[in-house]
Amino acid sequence: MLRLIMRVTGNVLKIAALCGLASVVHAQADAPDPSTTATAVASAPPPKERSWRIGAAFGYGERTNPLIQSDDIPVLVDVDIAWFGKRWFFDNGDVGYTLFDRSSSTTSLVARVNDDRVFFGKTNTRYVNFAYAGNGFTTGLPPPAAAGGSEDPPPPVEVNPPDRDYAIELGVESLLDGDWGAAELRAFHDVSGTHGGYELSAHYSRRWTVGRLSIAPTLGFSYKSAQMNNYYWGVHADEATDALPEYHAGAGVNFEGGLVTNYYLTRHLRFALSVNYERLADEIAASPLAEDDYVVAYFSGFAWTF
Amino acid sequence: MKKLRWLVVGCGLLVNLPSAAVDLPAARLIVKPLLCVIDREAGQCSLTFRIRWKSEAAAEYCLNDSALSTPLRCWPSASAGAHDQQREVSEAFIYWLGAPDGTQRAAEVKIDVLRLDSPDRRRERRARHVWDVL
Repeated sequence: MLRLIMRVTGNVLKIAALCGLASVVHAQADAPDPSTTATAVASAPPPKERSWRIGAAFGYGERTNPLIQSDDIPVLVDVDIAWFGKRWFFDNGDVGYTLFDRSSSTTSLVARVNDDRVFFGKTNTRYVNFAYAGNGFTTGLPPPAAAGGSEDPPPPVEVNPPDRDYAIELGVESLLDGDWGAAELRAFHDVSGTHGGYELSAHYSRRWTVGRLSIAPTLGFSYKSAQMNNYYWGVHADEATDALPEYHAGAGVNFEGGLVTNYYLTRHLRFALSVNYERLADEIAASPLAEDDYVVAYFSGFAWTF
Repeated sequence: MKKLRWLVVGCGLLVNLPSAAVDLPAARLIVKPLLCVIDREAGQCSLTFRIRWKSEAAAEYCLNDSALSTPLRCWPSASAGAHDQQREVSEAFIYWLGAPDGTQRAAEVKIDVLRLDSPDRRRERRARHVWDVL
């Protein structure tokens, strides 16, 4: 098995290296030759796309963190690294194998890392004298048992948001497009044994381009299973305290809307502005671990694509 | 002997003509816009190019479009010029300013084409990661 994995990995690396070399050669071939441009440009076929897509955006942005006692996630640099072969592709951490590529749709098997875990990476320990009650509300701590109904306020209790792990998920993705816009349908299941759940999602987007400006609104939803929601947003029995009561999160649907705008300054440089709003499912929002029932992300900056 | 001397001078002038062309004064060429953005709906851009040029000294210049075999316009003896051109663009091309015979270029400007749509729809997958906001 290990040998097979090594062989497959080796082949992928070889293909990647060959495609990288091909793209360099292609780039050199693209350089205009003044002595032949007049005739060559008029009859040249459309340039072949490079296999690699490498870019970076620099600016300022933020993604809010709905987890209690946590910091929002700043976005100062957005790196874009992707490689597309005939079947295999790598897209910013997602690895895929295309099963069908038809005139109106492309279907691929995709392995990815679930990103709900990222919210649990910027947490703080805090001493509180209230209990988290979900939806950002708090209630008074129960009176200390030893005091026997004493009027004294309860002593502060240490609260640590629990740790959660990344999950490796495997699934199917279909990309569809036409004059009506573009849609993405996805179904993913945890294969790492982290949460054991699944997610179904659908997104629609449409891009309009006027001159150098392009605007692309997006709408979508994600259905997350009870196992998945409960793993990340439930308060498990061994984590429950007076300040963080036990909670079982059920399945639910997150709704999402966003807008991405780009103003192209040159072929490689653009000014980008994006905003995204995600309404969390009630089952997540009602968790004592959730301070907000939404996630807002925005970014504004300059993006360079090589 | 006198005739031979004039013949030599005359030949010398003829031979020197190309080298005079080599000394075409450098020029500055300014073209707006420089970019054509093409998306799914349109296969080409319809642009009006504003072309301005200025040289260090007056000479005969011709403005060329790399997709065409003949100059767009020539100026017999000028140190500056302007020209507007309405053009459909679907591929990158070059505006260049040079000698009338096309052998030399005093300045050139490339007009780039950026295609937003891709025949490979996987390249337009939606950004999904927390840190990926574009």
